[in-house]
Amino acid sequence: MATFELYRRSTIGMCLTETLDEMVSSGTLSPELAIQVLVQFDKSMTDALENQVKSKVNIKGHLHTYRFCDNVWTFILTDAQFKNDDNTEQVGKVKIVACDSKLLSQ
Amino acid sequence: MAAAKEVRGRRREEEAAQMRCAGGGGGADGQCGRRAGEDRVREKGVRGERRGGVGGAVVEVESVVGGGLQIPRPRDATGCKPIYILSLIPHLSRPPALPPPHPLLFSDVFPSHPAAETLTLAVTSAAAMASSNVSTVYISVIDDVISKVREDFITYGVGDAVLNELQALWEMKMLHCGAISGNIDRTKAVGASTGGTAGATPPVHDLNVPYEATSEEYATPTADMLFPPTPLQTPIQTPLPGTDAGMYNIPTGPSDYAPSPISDVRNGMVINGADPKTGRPSPYMPPPSPWMNQRPLGVDVNVAYVEGREDPDRGVQPQPLTQDFLMMSSGKRKRDEYPGQLPSGSFVPQQDGSADQIVEFAVSKENAHQLWSSIMNKQETSTKSVTPVIPQRDGIQDDYNDQFFFPGVPTEDYNTPGESAEYRAPTPAVATPKPRNDEGDDDDEPPLNEDDDDDDELDDLEQGEDEPNTQHLVLAQFDKVTRTKNRWKCTLKDGIMHLNGRDVLFNKATGEFDF
Repeated sequence: MATFELYRRSTIGMCLTETLDEMVSSGTLSPELAIQVLVQFDKSMTDALENQVKSKVNIKGHLHTYRFCDNVWTFILTDAQFKNDDNTEQVGKVKIVACDSKLLSQ
Repeated sequence: MAAAKEVRGRRREEEAAQMRCAGGGGGADGQCGRRAGEDRVREKGVRGERRGGVGGAVVEVESVVGGGLQIPRPRDATGCKPIYILSLIPHLSRPPALPPPHPLLFSDVFPSHPAAETLTLAVTSAAAMASSNVSTVYISVIDDVISKVREDFITYGVGDAVLNELQALWEMKMLHCGAISGNIDRTKAVGASTGGTAGATPPVHDLNVPYEATSEEYATPTADMLFPPTPLQTPIQTPLPGTDAGMYNIPTGPSDYAPSPISDVRNGMVINGADPKTGRPSPYMPPPSPWMNQRPLGVDVNVAYVEGREDPDRGVQPQPLTQDFLMMSSGKRKRDEYPGQLPSGSFVPQQDGSADQIVEFAVSKENAHQLWSSIMNKQETSTKSVTPVIPQRDGIQDDYNDQFFFPGVPTEDYNTPGESAEYRAPTPAVATPKPRNDEGDDDDEPPLNEDDDDDDELDDLEQGEDEPNTQHLVLAQFDKVTRTKNRWKCTLKDGIMHLNGRDVLFNKATGEFDF
């Protein structure tokens, strides 16, 4: 099953990466195993987002920069508004990085 | 009769209406259809009357948790608004592993008074607020990863202790980031994994169940706030392979290759031993020369390494050098003395690898090493004496000389890059030997990459302008991105957003941007 490494940049992914990094450099974990863990994280995170999360979000904003490279869209929005069912977040600048969802199903 | 006909006619109308309902009722069609069928069987006599009043008894249904639960909710005769069951469920994003509570909830909530319903509705919808769910999802991901990786750990022969350490560290970091909210969610997740013991609460207090849950979940965001979120800014993209490669590169290169020349030397012995098979090494030697130049290099490497790393040696060597140089008048003679061991021709062209390789083999013997260094010193000094100005043309040994005798001249240009300065400093810009050139190319790349990074940094800077400490980031998958004129629309799914120091997850997102 294909996975994205995209989510490693999230908070949870970064925490895991740091942890693995520490454990590898301290010698408690082999690099190979650490990579296995990361790959498993990719799967689990994708799974969880797919199956456990149901919320929907509306995003509005001024598109400052757009980029499409290697099947990854990158948007930089300014004055963006994220509207949840019950919540609205206003953000001065935000970067959106999105991989092609079709690549996962392949 | 007329009245009876009228009734029948009405029934047909109703049935037609029901069919319409079943056909076009969106998400609720299944329910409509079923109800219609039941009605037809059960309520033959009464139906006309009952239907007539309500106008088709529309059933409002929302699928819950992926359509697993569908509960018909007849609209109240009082005209009360339809209740969306979806919004009544406290944990929408909780793993579907705990359906047990729901039936209880419904059975008790629905017959109750409208007031109670609205109350529940309000509370639970508030409970659906993001962060607790995020926390739950995160914890389930952690559990999932840990459990699924366990096998790998076993096959790698790593104990559970390491796995537990991994989990503990990971969770601790998450706590510090404020991404998960600690004990509450932990227990919650445990409860979830054990099969939803919360669902076993006595039915009398069912209305309280959501309260409890919500109070917990209310506590969650505040707990989040207690931990000042420390945003992780530098994306460490799989640093492990890199370090890995680095570790491999350093040791293996020399260690792999080193034995062969040494063994050769041992077998063939001494200087001529380099080419016991052929009189001259030249036909065979050139190919391996790239690495050989680097490794055995007793000659060349000494240049590079001695300068950079072994300062004492360098400090020592120049003196013998100068001594030799002083004696240099006899330098050529000395060189002539050696040819008994070395083919004299090998000395002349320092440029072609053949001679150097002979040198290399000799060097790997300890005694020969010293011998050779002295020889080379003399050789260099001899070349120096012959062409004191031009020596930069033959790179390596001249570097040596330059380093010692003309330290200031060649180093000007390349000093900046730091480490590599050791390598570069001696090489004058004019003509560099081939291996050097390669290295030079390698060294030339970093600047390019640095430029590339600058671009990214610009982006980051742009982002960071407003709040340098918080980097708002959305990671998702896109389904579709379209543009008309300057209006962009995109649909995203399965996203993690980090906004204002908080993580929010979404299943779907639509974006509308103007460029």
